[in-house]
Amino acid sequence: MVATSTLEQLSTSSVAGTLLSLGAVAILILAFSCLGSKLFTRYVTYYGAQSVVLSFVAAVVAYRFDSGELWALAALTLVVKGLAIPLVTRRLLLERLDLKRDVALSSGLSTSLIVGALLTAFAYLTIGATVLPHGLVATAVVPLSVAVVLLGGLTMVVRRHAVAQLIGWLITENGVFLGAITLAATFPFIVEAGVFLDLVAAVLIMVVFVSGITRRLASATATELRELRG
Amino acid sequence: MTALAWAVTLPPLLGLVAVHPRCTASAAGTALSIGAAASFASAVALGVYDIGHAPAQALEGFVYIDPLACFFALTVALVVLLASLGSAAYLRVEEENGALSSFQVRLYFVFFSVFSAGMLASMFAGNLGLLWVLIEASTLASAVLVGLDAKARALEAAWKYVIISSFGVTIALVATVFLFYAGSALHLGSNQRLTWYYLFAHAHALQPGALRIAFLLAVIGYGTKVGLVPMHTWLPDAHSEAPSPASAMLSAGLLNTGMYAIIRYDAIAHASLGASYPQDILLGFGFATMFVGVMFMLRRGNFKRQYAYSSIEHMGIVSIALGFGGVLGLFGALLQVLNHAIAKAVLFLTSGQFVLGYKTREISEVRGALGALPFAGGVLVLASLAVAGTPPFGVFLSELTIVRAGFEKSPVLAGVFLVFLAVGFIGLIGSALAMATGTAPSALPAPSEPYPSRTGRLLAGVPIVGGLGLLVVLGLFVPSGLGELLMHAAKVVA
Repeated sequence: MVATSTLEQLSTSSVAGTLLSLGAVAILILAFSCLGSKLFTRYVTYYGAQSVVLSFVAAVVAYRFDSGELWALAALTLVVKGLAIPLVTRRLLLERLDLKRDVALSSGLSTSLIVGALLTAFAYLTIGATVLPHGLVATAVVPLSVAVVLLGGLTMVVRRHAVAQLIGWLITENGVFLGAITLAATFPFIVEAGVFLDLVAAVLIMVVFVSGITRRLASATATELRELRG
Repeated sequence: MTALAWAVTLPPLLGLVAVHPRCTASAAGTALSIGAAASFASAVALGVYDIGHAPAQALEGFVYIDPLACFFALTVALVVLLASLGSAAYLRVEEENGALSSFQVRLYFVFFSVFSAGMLASMFAGNLGLLWVLIEASTLASAVLVGLDAKARALEAAWKYVIISSFGVTIALVATVFLFYAGSALHLGSNQRLTWYYLFAHAHALQPGALRIAFLLAVIGYGTKVGLVPMHTWLPDAHSEAPSPASAMLSAGLLNTGMYAIIRYDAIAHASLGASYPQDILLGFGFATMFVGVMFMLRRGNFKRQYAYSSIEHMGIVSIALGFGGVLGLFGALLQVLNHAIAKAVLFLTSGQFVLGYKTREISEVRGALGALPFAGGVLVLASLAVAGTPPFGVFLSELTIVRAGFEKSPVLAGVFLVFLAVGFIGLIGSALAMATGTAPSALPAPSEPYPSRTGRLLAGVPIVGGLGLLVVLGLFVPSGLGELLMHAAKVVA
């Protein structure tokens, strides 16, 4: 029998609690940075930085609860999301397809930032008060992680370029992961490992599709992906 | 029982012989078909064996076998068998006429095998986290099938498919995390807190607020896979661009996998929150889905697209049946899952005959098929009648059951349901008759025989005729063994 709901009872005032909240805020800011940017290299940089912060958050939880599985998860996050995925996207997509400036936006940057702020407020209002008890670190972090999920979705909606949509999905994934380690520190490791495996497979398949689309259409914007309708 | 579950899951992996660089479509197709037949035989044996036995679990609850799992495994194994035979015929022709390279053919069989095994495995996943991992994995494998011919349209469809479903399934992961959190008051190990069996048994002790969010997010997340409106936008593209046997797998197999996950969440929510919350959500999504499905079926464009919208309609019907609830509603929902799976697999395999014979996917470019291609035209009319819910085919019986469940719940909703069914019928039968009858204008090229070789005709014909035969049997009566399995499965949830 594993000791359950340990992290769920971690208070905001402890050192680990403060570090977790700070990390979560940094992750939210990086999601906003990505939403407000227009250069492909920045998308990848922000995503990589966000993943590094995420692995730091996982390491804090692992240290606090002395959990070997969470250390493994922190290491996996750093290697796969912090290093490997940004490297692969840079080498195989940005450099090979010569992507610089993203012009395929369906709304202005300021509009999307305002919508992003509204989504963050929405996440606080719906999740914070109703579901979680007060004074715990989960109460502070879970709304932030839901906001990151929504911001990732928003990035996928306002960006029409396939590479930007891929980054948006990865940011969403980071948000889910942040929520998972704070809301459910004891989440089964086998499942988390399976999730990682799927993530890697998904990125590889998407990279193949994006390069295929780009080679055929010269630019992989969803505005030109118009053949299939109705 | 666990051994039988492995015997259902693993045999389709025989198709992996296609990794060998000199493997041809006929060799891989034969291996895959043998595997699929073995898998289906095991699924039947498992279903028969399961009726008299208590649910079994293994590997700390990661494997769980109950009547619901057995029923869905039986359905999917049957679809895999029909689609494997269809693939063996279809891919051979595509390889011979040079439409697909040998590499693409091998890619198809490798990912088809992984896709089938992943779907079958997810039926026996007792752990909801593992269920998520397997459903996402089978989605990824199937995305390769959609983008197989690497033309701009197929890549566009595959991209839309993989990005929208991955995002949707990520929402389902959030649902999984919230469900895990909802069980924090339970003194269970971390694996057990995601094990369906334990959660269902302790449903009364789950935290209601977190469970509400978990159920809603699960319907949205897995609903993206199922094609519930408004998360359905990838579905018509993916189903129309994939090779026809792969479309059959997507429509008749993968959609049911998503529905299976929703039913598992529905059971927990039902036991914990009472009937009305999950039923209202499922009815809302179900009617929206059915409405959009039947409205788009009235368009006469690409026939594979029309069949994809018909799948959306049918998933709406299943969702509505779950929303009507009661043992009758659930019985109807499960029977509808089986009947739709067979009928839609047959219809998509039939559409393959037209794609190969007429080299088009447009309804307007196919006329007088009954005269030009008597077999294809004949089965098109029969399969359309079956999907549209005409007696003596099985879909009629299951839709009748759902209507009865609906009148028990609310006559108004049942009336709306009947109107939607009628609209869908008009759309589907209208285009089938337009394609089958009439005279072809001389401007259109005459169709060629879709399967030149005798073996090809046989391989393509057997799943279509066999599927139609099964539908007739299911339309006349539900065999007692199957009925008992269905009843047990419905009682698991209700």
